[in-house]
Amino acid sequence: MRLERLTELQMDALREVGSIGAGHAATALSQLMDMPVGVRNPEIEIMPLGEIPGVFGGPEQLVGAVYLRLLGDIEGGMLFMAPRDSLLSLVDLLHSRRPGTTKSFGREQEALVTHVASILGASYIAAIARMADLNVLPSTPSFVLDMAGAILEVATTEAGMKAHSAMLIRTAFFHEETKIDVALFFLPDQDSLEVLLGRLGIA
Amino acid sequence: MVEVGVGALAVTTLPRYLITPALGSCIGLGLYDPVMQQGGLAHIMLPSQTDTALKASPERFASVAVPRLVEALTRIGSPRRRLVAKMAGGAAMFRSDTTLATIGDRNAAEVRSQLRLLKIPIIAEDVGNSHARTVELHLDTGMFIVRSYLYGVKRL
Repeated sequence: MRLERLTELQMDALREVGSIGAGHAATALSQLMDMPVGVRNPEIEIMPLGEIPGVFGGPEQLVGAVYLRLLGDIEGGMLFMAPRDSLLSLVDLLHSRRPGTTKSFGREQEALVTHVASILGASYIAAIARMADLNVLPSTPSFVLDMAGAILEVATTEAGMKAHSAMLIRTAFFHEETKIDVALFFLPDQDSLEVLLGRLGIA
Repeated sequence: MVEVGVGALAVTTLPRYLITPALGSCIGLGLYDPVMQQGGLAHIMLPSQTDTALKASPERFASVAVPRLVEALTRIGSPRRRLVAKMAGGAAMFRSDTTLATIGDRNAAEVRSQLRLLKIPIIAEDVGNSHARTVELHLDTGMFIVRSYLYGVKRL
């Protein structure tokens, strides 16, 4: 399926799919932190590969990211991403500590963040799979702390085999009292979009 | 300064220099002509095209980008025999994902074989490992600067 040829109706359906996934992920995050977490309306973008590395605070911003490969009826990836400061606050909130308590990001923090990202990604994808009656499983998570641009570039490399652009369905989570800037990207493979839209009856 | 985006390439002359930010599994390939003090930089994303029907901007593939970069330099007066190559990138950012983890190596291998075909020597490189890099090619000296969070600044 050519991304550029998607109709307005199909884009709306994908936006809806994104909202459902995001809502479930936000619920999971609220439960983990035992406090309400907000979620912005998902943004859906079809972008040239060359522009993607700049979408999260500039290519050289230091971020932590967790990548989950999607396996099954639809393929692609889920990418969790947050700046280092947000990761530290997230770790504090998960331990019910005041944000700012954790100062360094080590193995223990990495394991915790990886685990949380994995739960968020899995609940997002499970909601979509349930709605569209698909079998989709996330792979084991892979963590990296490095430049945002390089991470986004690697996560969209496979899309580059088939097209010049890729689809990003981005969800931002926020927490009222602390500045937590967490994004979750759903990166469906373009052939899988057809499967997904077909199951929703609008291929 | 001339910034080269993902899957793009550019050539320029003094007093400008070339930069490409945040290479992950991509390769930053710099070609330099010390006589004319000019050069080019490519941000290569993938080894070679599998789907030849894909016509739009094939410069993200090593098999296209390397010969085109050489061509672009020849056009501004730098013959192939004078060019030297320096490269960086090709990292395995997500180690546990086997498909994504091997792309960097495959990119580096394809760039090497393309350069071998064109008989352009690689005089310096910082390839592999698992960290992101930003590279700059300075045209007064041919200095290739590789920056990363893990190792700071390396001068090749």
